[in-house]
Amino acid sequence: MELIDRYIYAVTQKLPESQREDIASELRGLIEDMLEERVNGREVHEEYVEEVLQELGNPKKLAQKYRGTKRYLIGPEYFDTFLYVLKIVLIAMSVGIGISFVIQIIINPVSILDHFIEMIISIFTGLPMAVGWTIIGFAIAEYYQEDGLQELKKEQDWKPSDLPPIPNPKGSIKRSESIAGIVFLVIIMAVFAFSTDYFGVWFFQENGFRGVVPFLNEGTYVQWFLLLILGLGILKEVIKLIYGKWSYHLVMLIAIINIASFVGVLFMINGPDVWNPNFINELIQRGLFTEGSEAFHVVTQIWNNATNWILAILAIGLIWDIVDGVIKTVRSK
Amino acid sequence: MMSDAQKHMEKLMQELRRGTITIGVLSQLSEPQYGYSLVTMLGDKGIQVEPGTLYPLLRRLEKQGLLASQWDTNDTRPRKYYLLSETGKEVYDLLVVEWKGIVESLNHVINPKGGNEDGTD
Repeated sequence: MELIDRYIYAVTQKLPESQREDIASELRGLIEDMLEERVNGREVHEEYVEEVLQELGNPKKLAQKYRGTKRYLIGPEYFDTFLYVLKIVLIAMSVGIGISFVIQIIINPVSILDHFIEMIISIFTGLPMAVGWTIIGFAIAEYYQEDGLQELKKEQDWKPSDLPPIPNPKGSIKRSESIAGIVFLVIIMAVFAFSTDYFGVWFFQENGFRGVVPFLNEGTYVQWFLLLILGLGILKEVIKLIYGKWSYHLVMLIAIINIASFVGVLFMINGPDVWNPNFINELIQRGLFTEGSEAFHVVTQIWNNATNWILAILAIGLIWDIVDGVIKTVRSK
Repeated sequence: MMSDAQKHMEKLMQELRRGTITIGVLSQLSEPQYGYSLVTMLGDKGIQVEPGTLYPLLRRLEKQGLLASQWDTNDTRPRKYYLLSETGKEVYDLLVVEWKGIVESLNHVINPKGGNEDGTD
C-alpha cells in the first residue's frame, strides 16, 4: 500500500509537527474504512486504492482544510502598504547608488570604469539588502498583529462610542518625513557601501577637490556595522510608515530598535582598529596645523575623546527619539 | 454542460452546506462515533458530506472544545472516536433553536401567501 503512505505523507508534511502523527493515523483508518467498503470482501486492487484517494482529493487541499486559517509572512492587509514602501525604498536606493557614483566620478574621474563596476556590484548587493530589510519590517508588523479570535471578539463587542476620534494631526506621522528619512539613510548607506573613505575631513584647493582624511579605518568590519545600523534606521522609518500614527506600541518598537542600534554602535566603537590610526599625522601632512601648536592640542584632545562624545551624543539622540514619540502619542490622545 | 444558473447554485449551496454540516455533525455525536461511521450515518439520512471535509471539521470542533475525542485501539484498526462535550451539548441545543427560527422565517419570505392562508398574518 505504498500509494497510501505517499498520500498520507503528502497531506501531513504540510501540517504542524505536533498534529502530524494523530492526523496520519486517523487518515489511515479512514482510507482503510473506505477501501473495505469498496472492496467488499474481494481482493484489494491498486485500482481501488486509487479510486479512494481520488475521492479524498488533492492532498494539498486536504492539508489546507486541516490547517484552517492561512498564514502569511506579509498578509493581504499589509500587502499594499508593503508594495508602496518597497517602491520608495528601491527608488531611494537607486538614487543613492547613482549619486555616489557621480560623487566618485567627480573625485576621481580617471578610474571611471572601476566606479562603474563598483556601481554594478552595489546594485547587486545593496538592492537585495534593501528589499530584505523592508520584508523584515513588515514581517514584524504582521507577526505582532492581533490574532483572529481576539479581533473577532473586539469586533463583536463594538459600540458606536468605540469609534476612534478622527486622528489628531499632531499624532499622525508625516509620510514625507519618513520617506525623506529613508532616502537620506539610503544615500548614506550607498556611499558607505562603496567605501568609508569619504567620511572624514575634506580638503579643497583652488583647482578643486584634493582629498579626504578619513575618520575610520578603511577595510575593517566597521563598514558592515555601519550598514547594519543604517539598516536598522531604515527599518524604523518603515515601521513608522506602516503604523501611520503615534502609539505606545510604536514607541516601544522604536525603543527596541534604538537600543539595538546603540548596542551595535557600542560594540563597533569599542572594537579594535575602528579609527584611522594616522588621522592626526595625515592632518599635519596636509598642513592643517603643525605639531605642538595650540590647534594640534585641541584637535588631538577632541580626537582622543571622540569615542565617548559620540556615544553620549548618540545616546541623547536616541533617548530623545523615544521621548519625542511618547510626547506625540500623549498629545494625540 | 452545466448552465450558469446551476453553477451559481452550486457555489451558493457550498456556502449553505458549510454551516449546516456542523449542525448535522453535532446532532449525531451524543454517542461516540468515528469519522467514517459519521459519513455513513449522515449519508443514510440524506446529508452528503465528503470525508475530506468532515475529518478536518471534527478536529476543528475538538480544538474549539465542542467535541471530546478518544482513540480506541481494541478494534481491528485504531479509530478516533468523537463525542459531544458539555459545551458542545449546550451549543448544539442553542443551534437547533436558531436553526428552527431560520427555517420558519425563510418559509415566511419564500412563501408569503402561505402565511395568509394559515391566517397567521
